[in-house]
Amino acid sequence: MIRLLLAALAMAMAMAATPAMAHKASDAYVTLHVTGDQVAARVDIALRDLDRDLDLDADADDRLSWREVRTRWSDIAALARDGLVLAADGVACLPDPAAAPPGSGAAPALAEHSDGRYAVVRLAWRCAAPVQRLDADYRLFGRTDPTHRGIVRYARDDLPLKLVVLSAGAGRVPLRLPAPRAEAIAVPASPATATATATATATTMSASPAPPSAALARAAASSEPARDDEPSFGAFAGFVREGVHHILIGYDHILFLLSLLLPSVWLRQREVDAAPGRTRSRWVPASNLRQVLANVFKVVTAFTVAHSITLALSVFDIVDPPSRWVESTIAASVVLAALNNVWPVIAEARWKLTFLFGLVHGFGFASALKDAGLARGDLAAPLLGFNLGVEIGQLCIVALVLPLAWTLRGTRTYRGAFAGGSLAIAGVAALWLVQRAFDLSLIAG
Amino acid sequence: MARVAALLRRLSLATLVGWSAAAAASSTSGALAEGVAAPARDDEIVAQLPAHLGDAAQRRAARAAERAQRVQLQAHPDELGLALQAARDALARGRRQGDPRELGTVEAALAPWWNLASPPPEVRLMRATVHQSQHEFQAALTDLDALLASPGIDLPVRAQAELTRSGVQQVLGHLSEAEAGCRRLARPEFLALGDGVRHNALACLAELASLQGREAPAAATLARLAGAASPDATGDAPGWLQLMRAELAQRRGDASAGPLFAAALQAQPDVYTLCAYADWLLDAGRPADVLPLLQGHEAADPVLLRIALAERALHGARDARARRDARTLGERFDAALLRGDRSHGREQSRYELDLRGDRRAALALAEANWRVQHEPADAVVLVRAAHAAGRDAAAGDVWRYLRETGGRDVRLGIAGAVAAPDLPASSAGGAPRDAARQAASPAANGSAS
Repeated sequence: MIRLLLAALAMAMAMAATPAMAHKASDAYVTLHVTGDQVAARVDIALRDLDRDLDLDADADDRLSWREVRTRWSDIAALARDGLVLAADGVACLPDPAAAPPGSGAAPALAEHSDGRYAVVRLAWRCAAPVQRLDADYRLFGRTDPTHRGIVRYARDDLPLKLVVLSAGAGRVPLRLPAPRAEAIAVPASPATATATATATATTMSASPAPPSAALARAAASSEPARDDEPSFGAFAGFVREGVHHILIGYDHILFLLSLLLPSVWLRQREVDAAPGRTRSRWVPASNLRQVLANVFKVVTAFTVAHSITLALSVFDIVDPPSRWVESTIAASVVLAALNNVWPVIAEARWKLTFLFGLVHGFGFASALKDAGLARGDLAAPLLGFNLGVEIGQLCIVALVLPLAWTLRGTRTYRGAFAGGSLAIAGVAALWLVQRAFDLSLIAG
Repeated sequence: MARVAALLRRLSLATLVGWSAAAAASSTSGALAEGVAAPARDDEIVAQLPAHLGDAAQRRAARAAERAQRVQLQAHPDELGLALQAARDALARGRRQGDPRELGTVEAALAPWWNLASPPPEVRLMRATVHQSQHEFQAALTDLDALLASPGIDLPVRAQAELTRSGVQQVLGHLSEAEAGCRRLARPEFLALGDGVRHNALACLAELASLQGREAPAAATLARLAGAASPDATGDAPGWLQLMRAELAQRRGDASAGPLFAAALQAQPDVYTLCAYADWLLDAGRPADVLPLLQGHEAADPVLLRIALAERALHGARDARARRDARTLGERFDAALLRGDRSHGREQSRYELDLRGDRRAALALAEANWRVQHEPADAVVLVRAAHAAGRDAAAGDVWRYLRETGGRDVRLGIAGAVAAPDLPASSAGGAPRDAARQAASPAANGSAS
């Protein structure tokens, strides 16, 4: 006894100054949907917690294989089912075998959270009558880890989710459901509306994988009532805004586009030089608006298609090039595009050049999108929204520059601005190139 | 105009075409978009569990022993000896891995006594330790004070309570309180427990002296306790002692900190020591050494923070891995916030400042953290955050505290840069900046040689 304590004693000395325990704590993420007299739930439980209670690691190699998890799924589902007891208006709700076959808990599946993978168990209950008041008695891991918490988000029908943090031993906790809609009580749901509601529920369920949003976390922490920060449209609009914002503050993308747009109101004309047998080329103002617009169209389309491809590849983690390369190459693309105006190498088919470099810009957009706080799992909608935003921003720039360039194309000013501007752009981008390639900070960019 | 409209229509069509290309490229990840997926292969590893030490047979045995202990305890939940043993084992695992779940295991093992007003002394001691680890310092002090005030408590429990209490007081910045505790621990009555306790008491006093401007004699004492002739010799002293020496050397800007951290880690490979060493390496401009050091410990948030900082230092702010790790870290802080856990202020402030660049948030977190904790690292975090936010005055309390205690730290000189000069010189050895310069100079380093 004494020796043991002394060992602990020695440890405590070093521990005196130790910060809080370091891992993410044990949380389960629960989403509850109430529809009429039915409650459907998705429960995400950390595999690490399940292993402690169920001893999943059959071969004791300190790793869980999918086989070790999958073959114990009925135990996992049972544990989840026993972990949450619901009562509607004082009467216990019963597990609904029709919606979730006992022992299976739907098909075994996992979801990724910030500290690893969680088992996803689907549960369903049927209550005695349409639910007015719902009480949850959370019991998960009550006997093995009292510090465990259930992060429970709940809603009636397709209304916004609310949040409550539950722990075992707290007993029955009332969930503050909004009152059911009048028509839902008055009129028994026809088969058609029932199906519609069920679909809506399923969609909401899948659209709200368990990682809690930062906004939600803050709302909960400041103990404000949970707000409706869940609807996917708001989030989608947010990503569109993020896309517009990104292209408008991304000077490298703007300058790239500008370098390509400036010469679009001109044509490259070959003329016979004074010296016999030699030709030289020069820029002349275009006379045909249609031709100009076609040029712009090709360039913008090439840019869009190219960066969409790489944006998607990167967001879905299919390709993930090192950011220093990406950022440096973007800078290089601006240099080359600008220099190409002054000393044209590719004058006619600029869209090909644009396509090539657009691929690199897509990777740049991707890191911005990832920064915007992409929830794991739900990638498609943010991707679409963000790209849409980028296109909108891009079209704004075209709409701003093109009429001006068209109007001024024949003037001396434009010719001067064109050459000077292109050189200036090339200069700025060259600085970016140096600072990104060597990680210096010379200018803001 | 109609032409332009037509063009725009074609443009949006082109966008759609671009999109279908993108969608085709991403179709393989369709299931991922829902966040829920079943692995394709049965032998895919889906979770890394906390590693047991040793070869396969030893790991299996350790796991079986844990399992057996749990089963036995479930059968006899009221057996105090069994429960205490399970609690102690869980606490040791928790320290090694930095996993707060183990604190829950401690609580679960001691459940029959946990909520008693006056539980058995060993349980009370354990409860205080758990509260300390959860940064519930007042709750910990209540139990420890009660233990020390009650007569007839076993000597070992008393010694541990005294030591733990001193540790809590030190974190809170109550250095004289902490010192009084360690002085009591050095009394002859504890000699019966052997040299270990006396060493602990002397080391504790030395560390507290070092936090109050008496670095050189403190370093000498710690070196002597470690059985080393020179401050560079690492020997095979216990990890906590080497860690204490390493942190002292770090505060003095002494290069011996590196080998001392390495020695501490050798003897005590826990998350705290790993992160302390990583911080020193980062400050020393050696981020490349941080990544291999921390590999395999990413589950712990402070470790992930240091990994992201090292990646950033190595590959630049736009590096994809650094961004990804920072994102994960942000999700974990959000998750902690959801359950009302605010004990990560020190780490979170660095995350906001160095990874997200949100200076205002970093300062708010550092200030809140400083209101609770007064360790050297807490001071560094606040001075840095205040300086970055252009509000050096916000760290005024740190300088006041250091002036009162006489504490010095070279890291503050670097972090604060211009923060200190407008404050009057401290009586205990010059203004902090002077202290920094002085400590960094070779003359001040010859402490124990």
